[in-house]
Amino acid sequence: MIIRKHLVQVGVTVFAAVAVVLGTAAADAATAGPARPSGAHLAPSVRSAPACNPDASSIRPSGPPRVTSGSFMATIKARGYLIAGVDQSTYHFGFLNPLDNQIEGFDIDMVRAVADAIFGNTNPGNVHFKAISDQDRIQDVQNGTVDIVAHTMTITCDRLQKLDFSSVYFDAGQRVLVQKNSGISGLAALKGQRVCATSGSDSPAAIAKAGAVPVEVTYWTDCLVLLQQGDVQAISTDDSILDGLAAQDPFTEMVGDRLTHEPYGLAIAKQHPEFVQFVNAVLEQLRADGQWADSYRRWIGSDVPPPPAAQYGS
Amino acid sequence: MSGRQAVGSMRGGSGMSERTRAAAAGNTATVARTETSVPRAVLRSRSRAERSTPDKLRVLLALLIALSLAWGVVAALTADQHASAASDVVAVSEPLSLDAEQIYQSLSDADATAASAFLSGGLEPASLRQRYDADISAAAVRIEAASAMEGASAARTKLPGHLSSQTSAAATSTGDDLATLSADLTVYNGEVQTARADNRLGLPVGAAYLREASGLLRKSMLFAASDIYTNENSLLTSASAQATGLPLMIVAILLGLGICYVLIRTSRWLTRRTHRVVNGGLLLALVVAVVSVVWLAGAFVIGRGELLHAQQYGSGPAGAAARADVAALQAHADESLTLIDNSGDDQYQGDFVNQQKQLGPGPSTLLTKAVAAPGPSGALVSAAVTDAQQWYRAHAALRAQDNAGDHAGAVNAALTGQPADQFTQLSTALSNAITADQNAFASNARSGQDAFTGLAIGMIVAALVMAAACAWGLTRRLAEYR
Repeated sequence: MIIRKHLVQVGVTVFAAVAVVLGTAAADAATAGPARPSGAHLAPSVRSAPACNPDASSIRPSGPPRVTSGSFMATIKARGYLIAGVDQSTYHFGFLNPLDNQIEGFDIDMVRAVADAIFGNTNPGNVHFKAISDQDRIQDVQNGTVDIVAHTMTITCDRLQKLDFSSVYFDAGQRVLVQKNSGISGLAALKGQRVCATSGSDSPAAIAKAGAVPVEVTYWTDCLVLLQQGDVQAISTDDSILDGLAAQDPFTEMVGDRLTHEPYGLAIAKQHPEFVQFVNAVLEQLRADGQWADSYRRWIGSDVPPPPAAQYGS
Repeated sequence: MSGRQAVGSMRGGSGMSERTRAAAAGNTATVARTETSVPRAVLRSRSRAERSTPDKLRVLLALLIALSLAWGVVAALTADQHASAASDVVAVSEPLSLDAEQIYQSLSDADATAASAFLSGGLEPASLRQRYDADISAAAVRIEAASAMEGASAARTKLPGHLSSQTSAAATSTGDDLATLSADLTVYNGEVQTARADNRLGLPVGAAYLREASGLLRKSMLFAASDIYTNENSLLTSASAQATGLPLMIVAILLGLGICYVLIRTSRWLTRRTHRVVNGGLLLALVVAVVSVVWLAGAFVIGRGELLHAQQYGSGPAGAAARADVAALQAHADESLTLIDNSGDDQYQGDFVNQQKQLGPGPSTLLTKAVAAPGPSGALVSAAVTDAQQWYRAHAALRAQDNAGDHAGAVNAALTGQPADQFTQLSTALSNAITADQNAFASNARSGQDAFTGLAIGMIVAALVMAAACAWGLTRRLAEYR
């Protein structure tokens, strides 16, 4: 009974969202003209700032990581801990382990490596984690609430206007998670069906673009609840996130090809270019000494690809 | 002469007493034909037609018997209506609103306890688990009991002469709410169990199930429970208003006094006419009439006083304390859910602040209202005010600790530290206050109900005795004329 009430609420929201998205899509189609190849799936951000390359936008490090005096790293070191904005509900990237109330995951490994490099020790207390939602990521970095964000965050040209990112530390792409044996082959097969994503992520727009009905929730795990309860037919977002959801429910599977390219970066405020360089130097080390591969093996899978090659814009 | 004519003549009370006087003086009046519609001139011309004393006696006899029986009917109906309204107060409305209130409390407590248990990780403490299970079964038992009682009371209201149509409208909506609660409770418990199982496996989706469950409880179940409470409270008020209402009772008592007056006048006329000092039958009827009027009025005054007292000192303060308790429980669930969400000061912390504002203390807050209510629980509620303020301070310290990055420390504080202790004190004080007020209500309401016990039967018996006594007294006089 209550689910029905809930559905009505969601339905209204979805209807409004679809209306907005359809309107935007129509406007896009009108301005794009006949030159655009039909069926091309481009990340929305790529369209809005064509002059940038998210994969090669970061600042080249000037050597191994060093805490120079007067730098932001020195400020953090003086404080005694790094403050990192992280996810706490994305299995295998950033999640709260209920057994010990500690936040763990691939993103967390990256942040710990940065903290260890600043403090020169592996004391777990050298990072304070602040769990933030998708929507708060940009403002929390901008206003200094957190020093760095490690939150399955895609580098986009939009976001590059507001923040700096490290070099790419993970390559993801949007796919679709469905119940096993559902017969659904991909997002294209979900026209008119309900597909879940979090608000504040890029995914609802991509879902609407494919003709499906986006259902927006706060956390990715909320999407899994809706899928398990049969409220939505699929979840569509980065395969890295879907992988973590599939690991919590063996009766789900990922289908279809990657629809987008989502390069992940660690987000840092624009005032601290020296910190961006420092973090990039740490990432270079992780790629080179096998720590990146270890983390991948621990959290994601035994079939470890080569780490994304570091490319810099300057 | 028909009973209707007798009642008709009775209604023209002052006119009749004049005529009785005339009859007593002139010895010729025709009391038998005293239709009020008959003009005085006609009456006088008829009074020329001489009537014998036995005729008058016969007419008087019929009149008095009819009056006695009419008294029996009116007094018994009045007594029954007040007694059944009083027993509605005690047996139906109050238990139902009590059930609704306890369903609300059990559910809020389950919400808070499930969140606490979840917060303590995969290995939740046995005490929290037992408390949650107890809350759920208490809610289930209460929902079932309320459904059964609601069904019975809905059937009762279909009987003629019972409470108004307002009752059946409220009953329908209460029935719907109970059905919602019963269906949602299963879904809610299922989601909490899924959350628990996932949490035990270390899966983050557990927290999502808990959020979903808590959302269902807050958006649908608590709403339905409070709807029932509101409905039943308004029924309680109307049942109580009927039990304590004045108009019908005043009519009945005036009728009783009127009968006493007629009996006294008849007796005096008979004394003058027959030169006997006292007619035993009429005297007995008078005594019984006086006793029954005094009984009816006395029962009403006592019952009314007890019922009003029960409301003012019992259900009123209990409701105020219960509302405060529910706000406190919801704020406690918010405290845990904020930590489970682990995103700093989120929507749940926002809700905590709202609940805190409603709870008070402060002008027109729940706690301040509960302190002002004149129940027997004053000291307990005053203690709760201090507990609440200390809890707020402990909670603020906990939030500061969490926001400074010490999540694990904040979780420990919420589970076993000062915030947990202060909340337990607050909740215990409020629960005790509610119990004290409810006991006060129950004992007063029961005394109120007891005051009406046997009243209706008593009125019928009194009326029959009066009729018989009048018949006995006047037939003895009539016999002397044969």
